[in-house]
Amino acid sequence: MTPHVRALRMVNFRGYADETALFAPGLNIAVGENAQGKTNLLEAISFALTGSSPRTSTDAETVRWDEDFTRVEGRIALGSDDGERSVAVGYAPGQKKRLTVDGASAKSLADYAAGGAGARVVTFFPDDIRIVKGAPSDRREFLDTLLSSLRPSYARAVGEYAKAVQQRNQLLRRIRDGFSSGKTLETWDRKVVELGTRLLEGRAGAIPPLDENFKRSMRALYGPEKAAVGYSYSATPEDYSEALKNAHSADVERGTTSVGPHRDDFEVSLDGVDLNIYGSQGQQRLATLALKFAARDHVRSETGEDPILLMDDVMSELDERRRDYLAEYFLESAQAIVSTTNLEYFEEGVIGRARVIRIYGGTISDTTSGGAGESGVG
Amino acid sequence: MAAYARPVEKLITELSKLPSIGPRSAQRIAFHIIRGKTDDAFGLAEALREVKEKIKPCRRCFNLTEQDECGICRDPGRDASVICVVEDPYDIGPIERTAEYRGLYHVLGGALSPLDGVEPEDLRIAELVERVKNEGTKELVVATNPNTTGEATAMYISREVEDFPVRVTALASGLPVGGDLEYADEVTLGRAFAGRREI
Ligand SMILES: Nc1ncnc2c1ncn2[C@@H]1O[C@H](COP(=O)(O)OP(=O)(O)O)[C@@H](O)[C@H]1O
Ligand SMILES: [Mg+2]
Ligand SMILES: [Zn+2]
Repeated sequence: MTPHVRALRMVNFRGYADETALFAPGLNIAVGENAQGKTNLLEAISFALTGSSPRTSTDAETVRWDEDFTRVEGRIALGSDDGERSVAVGYAPGQKKRLTVDGASAKSLADYAAGGAGARVVTFFPDDIRIVKGAPSDRREFLDTLLSSLRPSYARAVGEYAKAVQQRNQLLRRIRDGFSSGKTLETWDRKVVELGTRLLEGRAGAIPPLDENFKRSMRALYGPEKAAVGYSYSATPEDYSEALKNAHSADVERGTTSVGPHRDDFEVSLDGVDLNIYGSQGQQRLATLALKFAARDHVRSETGEDPILLMDDVMSELDERRRDYLAEYFLESAQAIVSTTNLEYFEEGVIGRARVIRIYGGTISDTTSGGAGESGVG
Repeated sequence: MAAYARPVEKLITELSKLPSIGPRSAQRIAFHIIRGKTDDAFGLAEALREVKEKIKPCRRCFNLTEQDECGICRDPGRDASVICVVEDPYDIGPIERTAEYRGLYHVLGGALSPLDGVEPEDLRIAELVERVKNEGTKELVVATNPNTTGEATAMYISREVEDFPVRVTALASGLPVGGDLEYADEVTLGRAFAGRREI
């Protein structure tokens, strides 16, 4: 068996005061009306397993209003017979986040997020459509989050690279404004290239398998048209140093670093058409989903274990054929936790094989598993 | 309106200027001092005065000392052909405790950081180059912190001395990345010294 979450306790997390949810392997359906806490639950699972929210970089937002801390605890069944792991993430605004694995402090956030917590996650939130529809930074974030979940060293390189670029940018401004002679520019170039190259290597290694997985997922989800993911460099690894050097005077003028992995992008296309520019809403949404499935396959082939799928409101806006396809896909996953306002999106036979979790006003009513006889929420 | 008498407020203010002491800890320490023995408080005041009056940077390596030159620079048993370059005086203690290193030191006084406005002129890099030139140094062990600014500083220094017949090495990896030397444990640091490599 591959890892899955058995239980999650949320204390002061978003709308939850103190709630516990139990999960089963395979498909779990979190059902409730709007604004009852479905998205918050999926966010909390991700927070517990990665140490950060996939929705916000401001941890304080997750703390329940009028409370001064939040804490989520998870019990994770490990792959094979390794038993169980207890993890907890505690956060109080103004203090360092506390991550523990079986009671002991985690080595670092990077280690915790890259398997240290016992399981990895792949998330889908409706807002993720910006990976296809939005800015290059949204696409880079998708890649970097995926690669960081595989290796803590990649996460650290991302952090260190950002710091080095910040330093170089500040130096460029100091040179422009006459506060620095620029003696150290060459040094910061070297540092930036050294760290940036690690990002480029990581991404270059991931793009071909992602492209292949994406093609397969798009065939299943969309149709026979040829889908592709292709990386576009602001400077190729071979020309990186040279390009940075050639950019000196322009960079000084603008006060920013114009080439490197923080300026790269990747294109998501269908029959050669860039979906960022020309995709319909429906195509962009399916392509986003296909990218997430591609990410799942990549995690599986890199780690040998299925990541836990956290899929928020994924069934709406899909036709019946695709909903049925997804339901099967989730049933066959090691664990998928899927939220919906409408239980009727799932066939009775599917519901019979799933765990159903009902959410109402920030409370979780424990869970009628295998509720095949029950109809949708009213 | 202040909550406490003026001298108490003043003590709290002074204490809260110290690193990693917030207003709440400052208050706790202040009341600890007020409640405690008079001798202890005067002892602390005297220690503060003495350290500011008597301690100065070593003229050779910028370690802290009561004399013109620090104990390490004056020790004839040390290998004067090797200089270990550190950011701060408090980085010397952990290295000395490893007992792996018998050379001299050079304290830079920080690391290159455009974000903090730190340029080469703000560090004792020129003084280091001067020492390499005059002391016939054979090896520089650059032991700046294993983070972005420390590593950039190491790179810059290795360029500055490239015209001299000096071998420039860095501590072997194994040190926690992004960390401070100050917090590395002895065993790790000792191993990092033993396995230092050319940069
Ligand atoms: N930090 C917070 N403290 C308290 N309530 C919050 C917090 N953040 C969000 N909420 C509440 O959570 C509810 C939305 O929950 P959500 O999980 O997004 O609903 P849905 O079931 O539609 O996915 C809103 O009513 C909102 O007021
Ligand atoms: Mg929602
Ligand atoms: Zn000295």
